[in-house]
Formats: sequence, structure tokens, C-alpha cells
Amino acid sequence: MDIVVPIKMVPDLVEELEIDSEGRDLDRSSLKLRISEWDEQAVEEALLLRDKHGARVTVIALDTGDVDETLFTCLAKGADRAIKLLGGEAAQGSSRATASVLAKALKGIPHDLVLTGVQAVDDRDGQVAVFLAEALGLPHVSVVSGVEPAGPNAVVARQEYAGGVMAEFEVDLPCVLGIQAAREAPRYAPVSRVRQAMKTLKLEAAAAAAPDAGAGSTVRRLAKPDAGGRAEILEGSPEEVAEKLYAILKGKGLVKS
Amino acid sequence: MTDAIAPAREVFRNLGTPAVALFYLLGALAIAIFCWGAWARIRKYRRGRRSPRLRLAGARLLHGLTAIASHSTLRKRNASTGLAHFAIFWGFVVLFIGTLIIMIDYDMVRLVDPAWRFWRGAFYLWYSLALDVMGVAFLVGLAVLMARRWGARPAALDYTRPDRAADSYSRRGYLRDDALFAWLLLLIGLTGYLVEGARIAADRPPFETWSLVGWQLANAFDAAGLSRRAANALHWWSWWGHAVLALGFVAYLPYSKAVHILVDLANLLVHDEAAGRRLPAPVEGAASAGYATLADFTWKELLDLDACTKCGRCHVACPARAAGAPLSPRDLILGLREHAEDRLGGLSLLRETRPAANDGGDALIGPVVRPETLWACTTCLACVEACPVGIEHVPLIVQLRRKLVEDGTMDPTLQDALQHLDRYGNSFGQSERTRAKWTQGLPFRIKDARRDEVEYLWFVGDYASYNPRVQEVSRAVARVLRRAGVDFGILYEAERNAGNDVRRVGEEGLFEKLAEQNMKALAKCRFKAILTTDPHSYNTLKNEYPALGLSQPVVHYSELLADLLRSGRLTVAKPAGAAVTYHDPCYLGRYNGVFDAPREVLGRIGARLTEMGRCRDNSFCCGAGGGRIWMDDSGQEERPSVNRIREAVGLGSVQYFVVACPKDVTMYEDAVKTSGQEGRIVVRDLAELVEEAV
Repeated sequence: MDIVVPIKMVPDLVEELEIDSEGRDLDRSSLKLRISEWDEQAVEEALLLRDKHGARVTVIALDTGDVDETLFTCLAKGADRAIKLLGGEAAQGSSRATASVLAKALKGIPHDLVLTGVQAVDDRDGQVAVFLAEALGLPHVSVVSGVEPAGPNAVVARQEYAGGVMAEFEVDLPCVLGIQAAREAPRYAPVSRVRQAMKTLKLEAAAAAAPDAGAGSTVRRLAKPDAGGRAEILEGSPEEVAEKLYAILKGKGLVKS
Repeated sequence: MTDAIAPAREVFRNLGTPAVALFYLLGALAIAIFCWGAWARIRKYRRGRRSPRLRLAGARLLHGLTAIASHSTLRKRNASTGLAHFAIFWGFVVLFIGTLIIMIDYDMVRLVDPAWRFWRGAFYLWYSLALDVMGVAFLVGLAVLMARRWGARPAALDYTRPDRAADSYSRRGYLRDDALFAWLLLLIGLTGYLVEGARIAADRPPFETWSLVGWQLANAFDAAGLSRRAANALHWWSWWGHAVLALGFVAYLPYSKAVHILVDLANLLVHDEAAGRRLPAPVEGAASAGYATLADFTWKELLDLDACTKCGRCHVACPARAAGAPLSPRDLILGLREHAEDRLGGLSLLRETRPAANDGGDALIGPVVRPETLWACTTCLACVEACPVGIEHVPLIVQLRRKLVEDGTMDPTLQDALQHLDRYGNSFGQSERTRAKWTQGLPFRIKDARRDEVEYLWFVGDYASYNPRVQEVSRAVARVLRRAGVDFGILYEAERNAGNDVRRVGEEGLFEKLAEQNMKALAKCRFKAILTTDPHSYNTLKNEYPALGLSQPVVHYSELLADLLRSGRLTVAKPAGAAVTYHDPCYLGRYNGVFDAPREVLGRIGARLTEMGRCRDNSFCCGAGGGRIWMDDSGQEERPSVNRIREAVGLGSVQYFVVACPKDVTMYEDAVKTSGQEGRIVVRDLAELVEEAV
């Protein structure tokens, strides 16, 4: 089985985020990027499937500057191939455009199962997997937390709902699954193995095709949330607190007496 | 006639030729059995990986011999046990040499020319005196240790394993081996005197008054009315008893606890004083980064396994074991020894037995050593420090941890910490750009050592940079240094975690990466010395970074503060006067021998120091070292830090628990809170007290 995992680099939220001068995007010059945590889950799920059932795992990413170390980390964890798509910057930031570029790249890469993160912190819609399935004409299940083979031509994808309810979908291969969580926490890649991979292995590179889909939506304004910064602690007995709360709400015209 | 009265004795007195022949036959047999057992052990060690320890031993031969002869490692903190063993050791040595002298005189010199025999006359008299006196030392020492073992029953000699269910093993074999060994030695000593006393009673050679004990024993026999004939019979029986026991001991030695006589001599000579302080690099070209099977062990590590006498000093010193973790350094070594004997030979006769055989193959982790056992270690080095025979537990634990890291077998919290360290250079998972944010609370700007030349480059470390409570301490240190006019600077964003604990976790690749990043930053700076408040950074910078090219000295702030107070650059305006106790951080004290500087500082600022029972090189770890601070400690019965605070509170009327390590500030403040000791003792950093006093 060939498993392809498209991954994406997202802003590291540990760093202070700045908005650029035009006010419609983050200031990308000072950003530090990291692998999207849902994509990390997708990589783990692919590796778990490979460890248990045998498969070839290919990780693919748009080149965004510092994607190399992330791809080498995937190789160190056990991925078989790592491909970076050069020149796809234009598609960044839009699920539809990204999916379009990935779909064209996947034409040349064998894929029975495509696993990718169900969303990313910088997504506007969390629909890369959806659009990708559509572009490839493949079945799709979203918010998957666990994949198991079901015979040679299908997999069972598991979804978890609130209240401990679970659903299982049998999906024909090839298919695209949006991964919420892997069955186990993402594995550790020892630094020596990552460095060894950097020394001895090569990343494959391919040119990113031009996206044939627009962003679908445009950003009008990006701003930090206003720091409201006022909190009032209401003290007293429950009755008194309720009284005060009612007075405040009424004063703001939020309740009608 | 003159020959008849010349002091001497007949070697095979009272024995016929067949008896003598039988004795030689038994002797040859005993030596053959000994040689076979000794060879089996040597063959085992020869299977070990090469290690440059013999060269090391050559360089410190005198040191090693002095330690053995003076029993310095055995007497440390165990004066009575050490002295008793000292008496046994030297008694044994003298008695053994005495036996060798007879062999050389009788079985060698006599055969060449009987006229050359020297075991007579004045030499014989002094010989008799020496052996009689040392024989008493030997027996008294044995009696003391036997009374301790079977009378006082110290906790150290309880062989219960904390890492196995009680019904999954039996150590009755160990107990039998202990008894056999002790009683054999005791009976050999007692029968020796019996032989001598009976002979003197039968023959009464006047010069034998030099045999102090034998002569008195003969007097006692006379007083009891023993006839000359009965004395001769007693001599015959006790002679054979002594001979059979002694030869039996020779044969039994390499198959038993008695082998420590030989193995531990060797182990102390090849012991590396830097063990643990400077960890070995992984084996180049090895399939695994760490130790997976016995084939990865060096010969010294295999020797370590056999060196253990089960004295239990590491067992009682270990903070992990005290906390109820499944780690006892003793049982780690003994478990590996049992496995090594199964796989590589060199069998002890009386061993641990198990109802179910280990069918885990060659793998060490899992069937022989549990991962939880390895992860429990705080690398505090108390075991290595306590071990009287030079066993190096901590480096071995790290080698096994390297395998765990490679396999990804670790706490999720540890994995997070390592990923943070890799990504941001600190374990807090905070941006490296905010590393120097703590300096913003200062009324002055600290020099940027990347741009300006400084005398002291202050390597701040993670906790001192990122932990809000320790940041206060860092600012106190900065203010004190400025006040004293010290020329210092920091690396700002260029500093990374020094990697001391990363290396001890077993993440060697990450250690190398962090150290390379730090060395790259340091290489661009001009400074005279590195200063740090963090003993963990101190250890690796001082002991491990020189191999990466660091040539400047490394100073702990306690050392610098002591200097500043001594030289008058800091003057005490308001003497502290507080009653304090001081906790020696493992990586400062035990690892690097800095005991006096912090005490000198406390003395100079007028604090009244009361020592805890476990202080200086016997300090008790807070439980944070070796990466433990990044792991879950919820399963512990009593956290080491709580145990320590209990000890300090137990001193009575101590106001401050003074620490000199950033991790200690957080560990002990937490322990004071969680153990409900708030109001009874307050954790203070050394620098805070200094700032208040100057």
C-alpha cells in the first residue's frame, strides 16, 4: 500500500505573532514555522499503519523555506520518501489552492491512501483534505482518529464524537482522510537520527504546478483581538451576585425587564 | 643440638608421608578448581568491548593502591564497618603472605639447598608474632561484621528487590553465600590457632612465647588437663580441619562472593574518578546509540557487575529507591550480573533463583532491566560515590537510557521537553527570543557578551532564565555582581540549554547539537571565565565542553561570591544572623567537590549554619537531576525533595533552607508547600541572602 501524507508548515505560536503593514496577513519575515500538529498526527498514523501492516509512506510538502528539517525528521521517524514541491508559495494560505497544487503533484505519485491533517492553525476553513479528495475524485472522510485496513481495497476510518460515541466508516481505496488524531502520540525522532538522515538521505524535489483554483475567500482585515482587559469579580452571596449581575446586564440593555 | 633449639617448626609435624602426599594432592586439586573458575571469569571480561582503563590505571596506580591499602572508600561514613573490614583485609593479607613464605621456604628454597632456608631463627620469631597478632585482627573484624550482619541487620543488607514482585525471584542463594563465606573465614582462623595451640601444648618450645595467642591457648589446654598425647591428637584433627577448610576456600573463591578479594582489587585500580562527571561518547559505528545487549559492555562494565559485594550502600543512598521507585543501583548491577553469568559464564554457585527462566533472549531492557528502573535515576551519583569498590552505575544507566531514547520509550512529558529543547533550546517550550527577558526587570542593562569583551561570561541556564521565581534570583545575582563591580555579560538569545541533563537522559544527539550551538556562540565571544548559577550547566561546561574546545575556566556563583566577600569587593553591611541549613546540589558538591565556597559565603554574611545529617558528598538529591524534572513523579511514595525538607525541618529552629541551584529553588519551594511545612522553613537562594547582607 502506498500512503501519501501531505504536510504543511504553520506559524509557531510560541513566537509573538505580528501583522504585516497591509494588515491582511501575518508578518511572515519574523515567523518561525513548524509542522502543523494535525499533520504530525497524520504522519504518525501512516507510520503506525506501515509498522503494523507494511506500506510505503511518502511525505510531501510545499517548500516554505524551513521545511527541510521537518521532512528529514519524517524520514528519521521512518517515512520512505520525502518530496518537497518547489515554487508553490502562491498556494500557501488557501486550502483550495493548496489542494489544487497537491492534486496535480499526486498524479505522479502512487497513492492508495492519502492522510493529511484535518485542519491547521492558519487555515481559514480546514478543507485541504476535502478539496484534495474532490480534485482527485476520491472518497473522503474527515475528522478521523484511527485507520485500519479492511481487506486489500478498503480501510476502516474511525471518528469519535462527544459523549464517547464512535463511528466506523469502511472507505474504498484510494481515498483521502482528514486526520484528527493518530492512535498513538507522535513518536520521538532522536536528534542523532535526524542528523544522520540529513547527512545520508536526500529530499526529492518537484516543481509545484500552478494552482487552478482561487482562494475562494479573501482576507479583508487581520487584527489582534482588542484587549478588553476589564474584569469585575462579583462578590457576595449567590443571591446578591445574581442581583448585581442582573443590574449590570440590565444597565447595558442586554435584558428586558 | 643447636639446630634443635633454633626457633623454627616442622612444616608437616605429626603427619606421615601418605598424609603429606594426600595434602599435596588436595592442594593441587584446589588450585586447579580455582584456576578453572578464575579463567571462566577472565574469559568473560575478555569478551567485553575495549576500554582504555588499563592506561588510566597506570596513571593513577599509586592513588588506587592507597585507596585499597587505607580502605578510604570503605571507611567513608562507615567508620566501624570500614575499620572491621580493614582488620580483616590486613589480617588476611598477612596470613596469606605467611602461608606463601612457608611455601617458598619449604617447597622451593629447601629443594634447591636446605641450607638456604630462612624460615627460622629471629625471622621465625617475628613471623610468629606478626601472624598471631594479625590473626586476632582478622577474627575480631570478622566477628564484628558477622554481628552486624546477623545481629544488627542493617537495612542496607536487606536483599529485597524494589523492581520485582516478591514471588518472582529468590535470593536465598545470596544469604547462603554470605554465611558460607563468613563462616569459612572464621573457621579457618579459629582452626589455625587451634593447630598452633595444640602443637605448643604438645611440644612446649620455649621460644613460642612469641606466638602470643598460641602460647596462651596452650596454657589453657594445660589448665584443662590436656595430655601431651591428647594435644597431639587435637593437633592432627585441627590440622586437617584447617587444611581442608583453607584448600576448600581456595577452590570456592572464584565461584562465590569471595571472588571480590580479586575482582575488587582490580576494579578499584581501573576505576575512573571522572565516571559520571564526564560521560562516554556513544560507540562509533555501533548499530545502536545505546546498550542493547551485553555485547555492548566494556570489560570494565562486566567487571563492575562481578565487583558488587551487595554491601547495599548505594541501595540506601539512592533517592529513587527512597521514593519507592523500582530502582536500586545494587539490584540493577546484580540483575545484570545474573544475566551475564547466564550468557557469558563465570558462574557463582549460590545465586538468585527464579521460578521462570528469562526467555527474553539477549535483550537487556525489559527482561533484565525495566525501563521504569532506568528512568527513575536522578543521576545524582550518590551510588557511585558510596560504592566502596569503584562500580560506575550512572554511566551504565545512561548507556541503557540511550537505547530507550532511540526506541522512543519515554514519558510523554520528557518527549515534549526534548522536542522543546531541540526546537527552542530550552525545556520550557518558550521562544528563544525571550531568553533574556528576565533582565528587563533590572535597573541597568547587562552587557551583551556577543559584542563586548567581558571578564565573566554568565551562562544563565534555562531555569534561571525562564522560571519566574528563579528569574528573581537571577536578578539578585546580577545586582550583586554589579554592586561588586564585576565585569560580566550574557549571551542573550544565543544561549542554549547546556545539555547536561539532556545527555544524562540519553539523548546524545541533542546534547551534541546544543553543545555545538553553544560552542559556536562562545567561540565568537571574548571572556576570561564562564560564570553560572546552575550546577548542572557547571558540570557539563566544566567537564564535558573542554572536549569540544572550551578552554576557559568555569566558576560557580558561590565560588565568585566567596571571592568577592573575601577580597572585600563586597562588604557586609547587615549581617544575616539567620539560622540556616544548606543543601549541597549534587552537581556542585558530589560531582565537582564545591562544598566550602557556599559555606564560606554563609559564614561571611553572618548566617548561622546547622548542617543536615546528609550533607556535603552525602547530600540527598532533590529528585530533579538527569532529566527527572521533565518526567512524571506522581507514582512516588515520598518525593526526594519532600524527604529532604522533612530532614531540614527535623533540625528544629532553622529559618532558611539555603540552596545554590536554580532547580532547587523550584523543587524545594514546591516541596515545602505540598508537604505543609509553610511557615516552618523558607527556601532561599544563596544570592538572595548575600544581597540582603551587603
